[in-house]
Amino acid sequence: MIQLDPAILNRVSKPSRYTGHEWNSIKKDHETVAVTFALAFPDVYEVGMSHLGLKILYHILNRRPDTAAERVFAPWVDMEAEMRAADIPLHTLESFRPVKEFDVVGFTLQYELSYTNIINMLDLAGIPLLSAERTEEHPFIIVGGPCSYNGEPIADFIDFFSLGESEEAIEEIAGCVAEWKKAGKPGGRQGLLGKMAQFEGIYVPAFYDVSYHQDGTMEKIVPNRPEAKAKIVKRIVKDLEAVDYPTKPVMPYLDVVHDRAVIELFRGCTRGCRFCQAGMLYRPVRERKPETLLKQAQQIIDNTGYSEISLTSLSSADYSCLHELVTKLIEQFKDQGVSVSLPSLRIDSFSIQLAQEVQQVRKSGLTFAPEAGSQRLRDVINKGVTEKNFEDAVSSAFQAGWSAVKLYFMIGLPTETDEDIKGIADLAYKVLDLYREVKGKRGAKVTIGVSSFVPKSHTAFQWFGQNTVAEIERKQQYLRSLIRDRNISYNYHDARTSFLEGVFARGDRRLSQVILAAWRNGAKYDGWSEHFRYDVWMQAFADVGLEPAFYANRERSNDELLPWDHLESAVHKEYLLQEYDRAVAQAATIDCRRDVCGTCGVCPDLGVAVIDWEARA
Amino acid sequence: MAKVRLEISKGDEIRFLSHLDYARTIERAVRRSKLPVAYSEGFNPHMKVAYASALSVGVASRVEYMDMDLSQPLEPQVIKARLEEQLPEGIILSRLKYIADRTPALMAAVNLSIFRLTVPVADGADNVAIQAAIAAFNSAERTIYVRESPKGRREIDIKQFMDCETAAVLRGEELEIRLCIRMTPTGSVKPGEVLAVLVDTYGLPVKKESAFIDRQELLIADSERRITPMEVI
Repeated sequence: MIQLDPAILNRVSKPSRYTGHEWNSIKKDHETVAVTFALAFPDVYEVGMSHLGLKILYHILNRRPDTAAERVFAPWVDMEAEMRAADIPLHTLESFRPVKEFDVVGFTLQYELSYTNIINMLDLAGIPLLSAERTEEHPFIIVGGPCSYNGEPIADFIDFFSLGESEEAIEEIAGCVAEWKKAGKPGGRQGLLGKMAQFEGIYVPAFYDVSYHQDGTMEKIVPNRPEAKAKIVKRIVKDLEAVDYPTKPVMPYLDVVHDRAVIELFRGCTRGCRFCQAGMLYRPVRERKPETLLKQAQQIIDNTGYSEISLTSLSSADYSCLHELVTKLIEQFKDQGVSVSLPSLRIDSFSIQLAQEVQQVRKSGLTFAPEAGSQRLRDVINKGVTEKNFEDAVSSAFQAGWSAVKLYFMIGLPTETDEDIKGIADLAYKVLDLYREVKGKRGAKVTIGVSSFVPKSHTAFQWFGQNTVAEIERKQQYLRSLIRDRNISYNYHDARTSFLEGVFARGDRRLSQVILAAWRNGAKYDGWSEHFRYDVWMQAFADVGLEPAFYANRERSNDELLPWDHLESAVHKEYLLQEYDRAVAQAATIDCRRDVCGTCGVCPDLGVAVIDWEARA
Repeated sequence: MAKVRLEISKGDEIRFLSHLDYARTIERAVRRSKLPVAYSEGFNPHMKVAYASALSVGVASRVEYMDMDLSQPLEPQVIKARLEEQLPEGIILSRLKYIADRTPALMAAVNLSIFRLTVPVADGADNVAIQAAIAAFNSAERTIYVRESPKGRREIDIKQFMDCETAAVLRGEELEIRLCIRMTPTGSVKPGEVLAVLVDTYGLPVKKESAFIDRQELLIADSERRITPMEVI
């Protein structure tokens, strides 16, 4: 057990990130369990403790009497320096044991720019960085989460990936490791990996050989072991009613990013926005019943003492029983001093009405995401929102008493011209005009947040060449030149960060060497602007001899073998290609949940179906 | 409406919580306990609880006090039992009692805080040097601590806040220092600040960064007597 010197804790910022003992944390005697998991989040405590996936895995694993699951987060840079100076290895917050002593270390991959933090945490743990260098003394390093669908850039570091929803898969993994240990570790590390490779959704990157064409594109990826499947298909929970939900989450002492009770309304979103990776990865829509959610909400409040409940999902306004649920939640909790907060809003007046019911008092601000400035471009990305929807929603918001509106957009979308960029400014001015029309005076505040589009694997835009840094910066400045009203404020993202994200979102396994080189030269916490070191990254690409633009800015041809083609979300590649064509043709694809099937392939391939409680009633 | 006063601790396990985090932790425990605690009126209701004095990050306490308004009275042992079930490691509820509505607020009433500092001595330091430093501090008329904060730089005479003589006992490699600090309407000094002065100005040979600081007592003192907030009628 590691004991932290108070002198260290007195020196670092927010020391309670490192001291554990939180309410609802689970401490088991390692002598009495068969398997130990360190659930690692490659970012700081406040971010990791806000993540629902971590709570789910912690709950599912600790429910097993034979398993202990503990948490570990990336130490902030001040703590990392202290740990390195005092030779303190990375350890968990429950038992304070070194991560190195665990059987399995599981990282969640939420964001491409957290890869160096994974390497850094392995290094702090004293675990060999490359999977090929690990022996039976070392834990298995496994990962899950959205980026595992194209985890190739970190293939060299990871023993195996778990694709898709892990409620069921994680139990199989725990059971398999327990059995393998009990049997005396037959076949050593390779023996376990061989077993793992046979499970659905498990990908062991070392079991595949990749070759490349002269031009740098992939030639083929071939299994080098009989256990390795040619394609790995994601895991999915068919019915969310059938799986446990974490109603006793660990209570952070610190004020973390999302510090409230969270209920998950549904998984999946079939609106079909063509830029959205989550919309493809989590198909189809599967809802929880309102009565289940009400029960879970009460259990969480009883177990935590939270005073706020928030609703989560990919698009909560689409929950079929939203109005009923919200009304009942408010009713059920009004005497318990618990408030309900709404997630992001859909652009329609129904959402405004609901927001008004929930947010009786503070009319702080409303957020909408038109995503693109012109109707033409919204049609390209299949964002089913019209100018009229938008005007109605904003007018209703102003009538209801709001005066501040936040609008989110992307630039760098396929087919985009300066006319579309101008549409963003026009929309912002339109909002100011609408306020004057409704209220008869000036006074609205509009904030436009503009991010740069990063094409992601497994989407209709996976072939698209991302705009260069120079082009994005030109568009950012062009938009700036169009905004001359002090009631409109304009924020945009660093184009270089999006560029790097774009490289890793569609990269191949040769990039492992770049990540290693960048980390060796000090790259970490790349998602935090104060730590992002573009020069270090560019140097790393040069040192390894790879061209980042090849990954980010190159338009792929339809017949190119993509580095993630063997990792399947079950959405057919032909469907994505067809969607790309329809995008260019500005053709709409309708939501399949209550209309005709768009034949993406997920339901028949996985033997699942849309679960929509309104449609069934 | 009934007002109840509680004596609780901030133990070693949660020493590094800020006062805000500590207060939020207690409020969540109170909510879990389902005690009929009162909330303020208004759009953003908050729990009617009040604390005596904020502790710094890193400082633990044997005795903290809080007042809580209940919307209906319950037997003290019922309150104790229900709350204890929900308290995390490090918070011990040692006693509680009902107090009159007109009882002055804790924050205004407490004015004396006694701390124990346990700090490793510097390599090669002896007790003679230690006691000399303590004696020099005790006999000084004034001694200035410079407090730097985002709001600016302030010079404070910390002697005006020292109540009884500061005492130090050497136990093996550790020095135990007892500080009695007055809390006045115009301000006070933190135990860590006193330690900094002892080391930086008086040459006390200890490793101040490794100090454990614990509040031992929090009192209401006047010229005649010292009582704990629990002895208030």
